[in-house]
Amino acid sequence: MALRNDRAVQAARDIELVEIEDGYTLVGGPEDSVTEQHDTDRIPEVDVDQEMLSNTGEDPESWLMYGGNYEQHRVTPADVITPDNVSDLELEYELSVGTGSSMEGTPVVIPGDPPVMYQTNGPNHMKAIDPREGEVLWSYTYAPPVGVELCCDDNNRGAAVYGDKVYMTTLDSGVVALDRYTGEEVWYTSTANHEEGYSATWAPVIHDGTLYTGSAGGEYGVLGFVAALDAESGDILWQTDTLPEDEWIGASREHGCGTTWMTPTIDEERGVLYTAVANPGPDFDGTVRPGPNFPTCGTIAMDMESGEHLWGFQSSPHDVWDYDAVAPRVLLRDVETDDGTMNMVVGSDKTGWVYMMDAESGRLHERSEEICQHINMWEMIPHISEDERIPFVPGAPGGNDWQPPSYNPATGYVYVIHQNYPQDLVWRYEEYDQGNPYWGGDLDDPASEFPDEWNGSITAFAAVDPATGERVWRDWIESEDDHYMWGGSMSTVTGLVFNGTQNGTFVAYDGESGERRWEHEFDVPISASPMSWYDPGEEKQYVAVQVGGSGWLRQGPRGSTLAVFSIDA
Amino acid sequence: MHQISTQPNATAADRRSLAATLGVDTAGDEAVTWDRLAGTVEPVADSTFASRGEAIRADLAGKLDVELLERERRALWTELERLADVRAAGVPDEPGELYDEVAAPGWRLYDHFLEIGFFESLDENLPRFTADHIEATARELILAAPLSSALDDVGFEEPEKLALLSTVANNTERLARWVPSNQIPDGVEFDTTNVPPLHQRAMGGALLWIDGLDRHLWQNEVLVTDDILDDAARHVKAMLGGLFVSTTAIHDLATDETFTDEQLTAALTAGTAVQIVSQEELLHDVFYITDDMRAPSELR
Repeated sequence: MALRNDRAVQAARDIELVEIEDGYTLVGGPEDSVTEQHDTDRIPEVDVDQEMLSNTGEDPESWLMYGGNYEQHRVTPADVITPDNVSDLELEYELSVGTGSSMEGTPVVIPGDPPVMYQTNGPNHMKAIDPREGEVLWSYTYAPPVGVELCCDDNNRGAAVYGDKVYMTTLDSGVVALDRYTGEEVWYTSTANHEEGYSATWAPVIHDGTLYTGSAGGEYGVLGFVAALDAESGDILWQTDTLPEDEWIGASREHGCGTTWMTPTIDEERGVLYTAVANPGPDFDGTVRPGPNFPTCGTIAMDMESGEHLWGFQSSPHDVWDYDAVAPRVLLRDVETDDGTMNMVVGSDKTGWVYMMDAESGRLHERSEEICQHINMWEMIPHISEDERIPFVPGAPGGNDWQPPSYNPATGYVYVIHQNYPQDLVWRYEEYDQGNPYWGGDLDDPASEFPDEWNGSITAFAAVDPATGERVWRDWIESEDDHYMWGGSMSTVTGLVFNGTQNGTFVAYDGESGERRWEHEFDVPISASPMSWYDPGEEKQYVAVQVGGSGWLRQGPRGSTLAVFSIDA
Repeated sequence: MHQISTQPNATAADRRSLAATLGVDTAGDEAVTWDRLAGTVEPVADSTFASRGEAIRADLAGKLDVELLERERRALWTELERLADVRAAGVPDEPGELYDEVAAPGWRLYDHFLEIGFFESLDENLPRFTADHIEATARELILAAPLSSALDDVGFEEPEKLALLSTVANNTERLARWVPSNQIPDGVEFDTTNVPPLHQRAMGGALLWIDGLDRHLWQNEVLVTDDILDDAARHVKAMLGGLFVSTTAIHDLATDETFTDEQLTAALTAGTAVQIVSQEELLHDVFYITDDMRAPSELR
């Protein structure tokens, strides 16, 4: 069946993203969710078990979760593609997903004959795909309620799989479980009231039958949380606020935000999850929320069983620049340091540095050399007035916004994407009003004046040695249209690192040297993070990336393409 | 005993600016000192100063726990005296150890103030920080011998007292933005259901920052320098000094009532102002560690 006759695709197309003051909302779309089945018989009925999930990082034939493994290394163990032969990597096919909306997702692939890919994009659209043929097996569009408010786009960044189900967070702050063989809905659970400004855009992660998800709405005065759901029933097992009551003054906590809007990282050995914590609320007027606003703009560790807080680390206490910590944390084991080996949590943040924290205590092992420039950083307290603006770098998108880093075991380096663009802002008094933006200021993007020290490059892609914090190499990236680079990277065990730029260039870097070894040009930006798998039936290694502009500031032209590359073994 | 100084970098210009704010002629070579200012400045001409103090006094009558105030004021005193030892200890051995204890009497006072509606009373009876209100506050402070001697008692040297006064008098624009900023629509007041009263935010914020130092210094030890530790201790001393001034006035209100209504208003305004400015300074000097400020990496 052609996609033009696909009701789920049509339903997604009918959902219009409309810009409103300080954000977006969705208009139109279906009253009920829509599943369109094409060739569901082609999906091998082999349930995904915990062993498969735990081992996916070692299994070249699978990519079973958003971050590639629980540690979020985003590295494929498939070793067909190497620095020496990557020049032979060829486009296998481009599949039009047909929705023309946000394209920030990373697909998952379940091994089999054929393998099955589950791919998501905005607005809450999912497809099951035969990735050998590039053919859609079923498609599904969730029906978001009228009036959902979104700060930044209608994003969805990926799916989770377990048993016979596939899971997706929904823009109204929910999780939906589908029968992965048929695309039919099994359950839906709301984790918070979208009318208060809550939403959800990230891929959930599942461990031992429990699905872990977070919270978004940090521009709407919500109260952030992490939640654990029973993957079979959708029942909420625990839901823990990110903001401890004794770290906040009075009612300021109620709208203090601290959302957790990317996929948590899981330490299976210790039973601990790590997640980034976003900005405090209101974003820019810190006088109504005194103190460090712990643990906003930082990292927290939680007990996976109970949701109990274990530790927190802030990279921008009492933040008034929207320096969320967002990007997924990367868990590294047995890193060789001068003091012996250690397990560390790596957080690459909007502040423009990479933080290497001891996984057990949250204590900083080292902070990296700067990745982006730091110009007039942290200089705007006390509050400035309209006439005293100071352009600053990094601006509100960072540093590292949500773009996931990758870890390459061949080099031992972590690869990060940091924006490098001047912005300025001014505070204003703002009363909390449920469901409406709660910024407490106005952000100017770009800054009204550019500082002389700014180097003119809007993005930096860099390799960092986690043992020392050394920035081993850095590729400055320019954009004629001043688009931000909005997708994350992927590593290969053979020492390559892939990412896609805002200029539409899909690049394979030599992870050791930073040399560009291969490029492919698209005509629209890449805002997604690639993934890879090996198919023994075809004897090929594939690399997939979604293509199209996305994001909350000057996203660039939309696209609607899932591009799949391959190379013969 | 070695003392922590709150303001090692107070400049002659700061002092002249303070004197100018208070209408004291600084021509000639004579240094601007606390005693000189105290002997020269005119008392407050603002009649509302007395009525505001009177209203606060009436609001709190019969609600204050004298025993608790007495005990925690002494405990604050002890913590101020102990700060040099705290600084000498350097980076805490574990989070929640050194500075937590320093803040503890402050939290007990805070809980009591919360319980009796103290913060709401101040929001009700004190104006926003305006230039006139700040100037009047500074005048009253310097003329209030009991407040001056209270600061002497807890180890504030003359230059430090002058620096505290400068903190109040020279930061009117900055303080004004703490009570919602320059963009407040006319007639809009704080919605205290969502935003705590100003004086609660000032005191609670200061205590949260002091508490947070243990975790911050311990976690970030690889970035921390002696300068950062020095700054932490001096800003903590200033914040506790501000709290001590307020507590002294409240204690007096609950006991001897030797302070005038004007002095009560001045002490509560100044105490909050010092806590606000000092927590913002702490933020910059201790928590926002740029590459220029950090300790050199030992790993690269």
